[in-house]
Amino acid sequence: MSASERAFNALGDPTRRAIFEKLRHRPLAVVDIADGLPVSRPAVSQHLKVLREAKLINIKTSGAKNFYEVDREGILVMREYLDKFWDEALANFKRIAENTEKENNKHE
Amino acid sequence: METISLTSVKKEFVVEATQETAFKVFTEQMDKWWPRTHHIGSAEMTGIVVEPRVHGRWYSKHADGSEANIGYVSTYQPYDLFVLIWQINGDFKCDPTLATEVVTQFIPEGHKATRVKFEHKDLHKLGNGKSVESMNEGWGLIMELYKKEAEQ
Repeated sequence: MSASERAFNALGDPTRRAIFEKLRHRPLAVVDIADGLPVSRPAVSQHLKVLREAKLINIKTSGAKNFYEVDREGILVMREYLDKFWDEALANFKRIAENTEKENNKHE
Repeated sequence: METISLTSVKKEFVVEATQETAFKVFTEQMDKWWPRTHHIGSAEMTGIVVEPRVHGRWYSKHADGSEANIGYVSTYQPYDLFVLIWQINGDFKCDPTLATEVVTQFIPEGHKATRVKFEHKDLHKLGNGKSVESMNEGWGLIMELYKKEAEQ
Protein backbone atom coordinates (compact mmCIF):
# COMPACT_ATOMS: atom_id res chain seq x y z
CA MET A 1 0.00 0.00 0.00
CA SER A 2 1.41 3.40 -0.97
CA ALA A 3 1.71 6.31 1.45
CA SER A 4 -1.18 8.16 -0.16
CA GLU A 5 -3.41 5.08 -0.01
CA ARG A 6 -2.61 4.72 3.68
CA ALA A 7 -3.52 8.38 4.21
CA PHE A 8 -6.78 7.91 2.32
CA ASN A 9 -7.74 4.88 4.35
CA ALA A 10 -6.90 6.64 7.60
CA LEU A 11 -9.21 9.52 6.69
CA GLY A 12 -12.00 7.18 5.65
CA ASP A 13 -13.27 7.29 9.23
CA PRO A 14 -15.39 10.37 10.14
CA THR A 15 -13.95 10.64 13.67
CA ARG A 16 -10.42 10.61 12.31
CA ARG A 17 -11.39 13.27 9.77
CA ALA A 18 -12.80 15.40 12.61
CA ILE A 19 -9.57 14.96 14.59
CA PHE A 20 -7.44 15.80 11.60
CA GLU A 21 -9.50 18.95 10.88
CA LYS A 22 -9.00 20.11 14.49
CA LEU A 23 -5.24 19.66 14.19
CA ARG A 24 -5.04 21.54 10.91
CA HIS A 25 -5.70 24.72 12.88
CA ARG A 26 -3.14 24.19 15.66
CA PRO A 27 -1.35 21.49 17.69
CA LEU A 28 -3.47 20.08 20.51
CA ALA A 29 -3.13 17.83 23.56
CA VAL A 30 -5.21 14.63 23.70
CA VAL A 31 -7.63 16.16 26.20
CA ASP A 32 -8.41 19.03 23.80
CA ILE A 33 -8.72 16.69 20.84
CA ALA A 34 -11.21 14.52 22.73
CA ASP A 35 -13.22 17.57 23.80
CA GLY A 36 -16.50 17.68 21.86
CA LEU A 37 -16.00 14.30 20.19
CA PRO A 38 -18.61 11.60 20.92
CA VAL A 39 -16.00 8.92 21.62
CA SER A 40 -14.01 7.75 24.65
CA ARG A 41 -10.45 8.88 25.40
CA PRO A 42 -9.02 5.39 24.66
CA ALA A 43 -10.84 5.47 21.29
CA VAL A 44 -9.33 8.89 20.54
CA SER A 45 -5.87 7.51 21.36
CA GLN A 46 -6.46 4.62 18.99
CA HIS A 47 -7.51 7.03 16.20
CA LEU A 48 -4.39 9.15 16.84
CA LYS A 49 -2.27 6.04 16.48
CA VAL A 50 -3.80 5.29 13.06
CA LEU A 51 -3.26 8.90 11.90
CA ARG A 52 0.36 8.77 13.06
CA GLU A 53 1.00 5.50 11.25
CA ALA A 54 -0.43 7.07 8.09
CA LYS A 55 2.08 9.94 8.56
CA LEU A 56 -0.74 12.47 8.66
CA ILE A 57 0.13 13.72 12.14
CA ASN A 58 3.15 13.91 14.44
CA ILE A 59 3.57 13.87 18.17
CA LYS A 60 5.73 16.42 19.96
CA THR A 61 6.53 16.79 23.63
CA SER A 62 6.35 20.11 25.41
CA GLY A 63 7.06 19.98 29.14
CA ALA A 64 5.17 17.03 30.57
CA LYS A 65 2.53 17.14 27.84
CA ASN A 66 2.28 15.48 24.46
CA PHE A 67 0.90 17.53 21.60
CA TYR A 68 -0.31 16.30 18.25
CA GLU A 69 0.20 18.28 15.06
CA VAL A 70 -0.28 17.87 11.32
CA ASP A 71 2.77 16.25 9.74
CA ARG A 72 4.01 18.98 7.41
CA GLU A 73 6.58 16.69 5.85
CA GLY A 74 4.14 13.92 5.18
CA ILE A 75 1.87 13.09 2.33
CA LEU A 76 -0.07 16.33 2.44
CA VAL A 77 2.85 18.67 1.87
CA MET A 78 2.26 19.26 -1.82
CA ARG A 79 -1.47 19.64 -1.32
CA GLU A 80 -1.02 22.15 1.49
CA TYR A 81 1.49 24.05 -0.58
CA LEU A 82 -0.88 24.30 -3.56
CA ASP A 83 -3.79 25.21 -1.30
CA LYS A 84 -1.84 28.24 -0.05
CA PHE A 85 -0.43 29.07 -3.44
CA TRP A 86 -3.86 29.17 -5.11
CA ASP A 87 -5.27 31.23 -2.24
CA GLU A 88 -2.67 33.86 -2.94
CA ALA A 89 -2.97 33.70 -6.74
CA LEU A 90 -6.79 33.76 -6.73
CA ALA A 91 -6.93 36.68 -4.28
CA ASN A 92 -4.73 38.59 -6.75
CA PHE A 93 -6.95 37.51 -9.63
CA LYS A 94 -10.12 38.70 -7.84
CA ARG A 95 -8.58 42.10 -7.08
CA ILE A 96 -7.39 42.63 -10.65
CA ALA A 97 -10.64 41.43 -12.26
CA GLU A 98 -12.58 43.86 -10.07
CA ASN A 99 -10.23 46.75 -10.88
CA THR A 100 -10.49 45.92 -14.59
CA GLU A 101 -14.29 45.95 -14.34
CA LYS A 102 -14.19 49.40 -12.71
CA GLU A 103 -11.87 50.67 -15.44
CA ASN A 104 -14.15 49.26 -18.17
CA ASN A 105 -17.16 51.01 -16.65
CA LYS A 106 -15.34 54.36 -16.61
CA HIS A 107 -14.92 54.22 -20.36
CA GLU A 108 -18.54 53.33 -21.09
CA MET B 1 -17.46 21.11 8.83
CA GLU B 2 -15.22 21.56 5.84
CA THR B 3 -14.68 18.27 4.08
CA ILE B 4 -11.13 17.37 3.20
CA SER B 5 -10.15 16.03 -0.12
CA LEU B 6 -6.62 14.74 -0.25
CA THR B 7 -6.59 14.78 -4.01
CA SER B 8 -7.86 18.24 -4.82
CA VAL B 9 -7.81 21.87 -3.77
CA LYS B 10 -11.15 23.64 -4.20
CA LYS B 11 -11.88 27.35 -4.04
CA GLU B 12 -15.13 29.18 -4.62
CA PHE B 13 -15.70 32.92 -4.50
CA VAL B 14 -17.60 35.77 -6.12
CA VAL B 15 -15.87 38.43 -8.19
CA GLU B 16 -17.52 41.82 -8.66
CA ALA B 17 -17.09 41.74 -12.42
CA THR B 18 -18.96 40.43 -15.45
CA GLN B 19 -18.40 36.87 -16.61
CA GLU B 20 -16.55 38.18 -19.66
CA THR B 21 -14.18 40.37 -17.61
CA ALA B 22 -13.54 37.59 -15.09
CA PHE B 23 -12.81 35.06 -17.83
CA LYS B 24 -10.55 37.42 -19.78
CA VAL B 25 -8.53 38.50 -16.76
CA PHE B 26 -8.09 34.88 -15.73
CA THR B 27 -7.05 33.56 -19.14
CA GLU B 28 -5.46 36.52 -20.93
CA GLN B 29 -3.99 38.47 -18.02
CA MET B 30 -2.56 35.76 -15.81
CA ASP B 31 0.69 37.73 -15.91
CA LYS B 32 -0.99 40.42 -13.81
CA TRP B 33 -2.13 38.15 -10.99
CA TRP B 34 0.32 35.23 -10.86
CA PRO B 35 2.57 35.65 -7.79
CA ARG B 36 6.08 36.43 -9.12
CA THR B 37 7.65 34.53 -6.22
CA HIS B 38 6.32 31.18 -7.48
CA HIS B 39 8.07 29.65 -10.45
CA ILE B 40 10.43 26.84 -11.35
CA GLY B 41 12.65 28.82 -13.72
CA SER B 42 16.43 29.21 -13.60
CA ALA B 43 16.32 32.99 -13.09
CA GLU B 44 13.97 35.66 -11.79
CA MET B 45 10.51 35.40 -13.31
CA THR B 46 9.62 38.20 -15.70
CA GLY B 47 6.24 37.00 -16.94
CA ILE B 48 3.78 34.18 -17.45
CA VAL B 49 2.10 33.23 -20.70
CA VAL B 50 -1.06 31.23 -21.45
CA GLU B 51 -1.86 30.86 -25.12
CA PRO B 52 -5.67 31.25 -25.06
CA ARG B 53 -6.70 28.23 -27.14
CA VAL B 54 -6.94 24.45 -26.79
CA HIS B 55 -3.40 22.95 -26.67
CA GLY B 56 -2.03 26.46 -26.05
CA ARG B 57 1.21 26.51 -24.05
CA TRP B 58 1.39 27.65 -20.42
CA TYR B 59 4.87 28.76 -19.33
CA SER B 60 6.87 31.33 -17.39
CA LYS B 61 9.54 33.64 -18.81
CA HIS B 62 12.75 34.51 -17.00
CA ALA B 63 15.37 37.24 -16.75
CA ASP B 64 18.03 35.07 -18.44
CA GLY B 65 15.82 34.64 -21.51
CA SER B 66 14.76 31.10 -20.65
CA GLU B 67 11.25 29.68 -20.45
CA ALA B 68 9.87 27.11 -18.03
CA ASN B 69 6.86 25.01 -19.00
CA ILE B 70 4.01 24.67 -16.55
CA GLY B 71 1.54 22.81 -18.77
CA TYR B 72 -1.07 23.54 -21.42
CA VAL B 73 -4.70 24.52 -22.09
CA SER B 74 -7.07 21.55 -22.42
CA THR B 75 -10.47 23.34 -22.54
CA TYR B 76 -11.07 26.89 -23.72
CA GLN B 77 -14.74 27.77 -23.60
CA PRO B 78 -15.29 31.56 -23.34
CA TYR B 79 -16.72 32.76 -20.99
CA ASP B 80 -17.80 29.69 -19.00
CA LEU B 81 -15.01 27.21 -18.59
CA PHE B 82 -11.22 27.11 -18.69
CA VAL B 83 -9.17 23.98 -17.99
CA LEU B 84 -5.39 23.97 -17.66
CA ILE B 85 -3.19 20.92 -17.37
CA TRP B 86 -0.59 21.43 -14.64
CA GLN B 87 2.57 19.35 -15.13
CA ILE B 88 4.79 20.45 -12.27
CA ASN B 89 5.50 17.58 -9.90
CA GLY B 90 6.36 17.42 -6.20
CA ASP B 91 10.04 17.99 -7.00
CA PHE B 92 9.16 21.24 -8.77
CA LYS B 93 10.05 19.86 -12.18
CA CYS B 94 7.86 19.93 -15.23
CA ASP B 95 7.00 16.35 -16.15
CA PRO B 96 5.43 16.03 -19.63
CA THR B 97 3.93 12.66 -18.67
CA LEU B 98 2.10 14.19 -15.70
CA ALA B 99 -1.41 15.62 -16.09
CA THR B 100 -3.33 17.25 -13.24
CA GLU B 101 -6.34 19.39 -14.11
CA VAL B 102 -6.88 22.98 -13.00
CA VAL B 103 -10.58 23.57 -13.71
CA THR B 104 -12.08 27.06 -13.46
CA GLN B 105 -15.78 27.73 -14.04
CA PHE B 106 -17.25 31.21 -14.40
CA ILE B 107 -20.94 31.46 -13.49
CA PRO B 108 -22.80 34.78 -13.88
CA GLU B 109 -24.45 35.84 -10.65
CA GLY B 110 -26.74 38.87 -10.55
CA HIS B 111 -25.67 42.26 -11.80
CA LYS B 112 -21.99 42.34 -12.75
CA ALA B 113 -20.94 39.55 -10.45
CA THR B 114 -19.43 36.18 -11.30
CA ARG B 115 -19.11 33.09 -9.16
CA VAL B 116 -15.77 31.42 -9.70
CA LYS B 117 -15.50 27.70 -8.98
CA PHE B 118 -11.90 26.60 -8.98
CA GLU B 119 -10.48 23.11 -8.52
CA HIS B 120 -6.97 21.74 -8.87
CA LYS B 121 -7.55 17.98 -9.22
CA ASP B 122 -5.56 14.76 -9.23
CA LEU B 123 -3.02 15.96 -6.67
CA HIS B 124 -2.14 12.39 -5.68
CA LYS B 125 -0.29 12.21 -9.01
CA LEU B 126 2.16 14.93 -7.99
CA GLY B 127 4.25 12.80 -5.66
CA ASN B 128 5.82 14.05 -2.50
CA GLY B 129 9.14 15.63 -3.38
CA LYS B 130 11.84 16.53 -0.90
CA SER B 131 12.21 20.04 -2.25
CA VAL B 132 8.68 20.91 -1.22
CA GLU B 133 9.47 20.77 2.48
CA SER B 134 11.93 23.66 2.65
CA MET B 135 9.97 25.80 0.20
CA ASN B 136 6.79 25.23 2.14
CA GLU B 137 8.36 26.73 5.24
CA GLY B 138 9.53 29.89 3.52
CA TRP B 139 6.31 30.43 1.69
CA GLY B 140 4.28 29.60 4.78
CA LEU B 141 5.76 32.69 6.38
CA ILE B 142 5.01 34.87 3.36
CA MET B 143 1.47 33.54 3.29
CA GLU B 144 0.91 34.45 6.93
CA LEU B 145 1.94 38.03 6.23
CA TYR B 146 -0.21 38.11 3.12
CA LYS B 147 -3.27 36.80 4.95
CA LYS B 148 -2.92 39.43 7.66
CA GLU B 149 -2.92 42.13 5.04
CA ALA B 150 -5.84 40.61 3.11
CA GLU B 151 -7.98 40.28 6.22
CA GLN B 152 -7.52 43.86 7.40
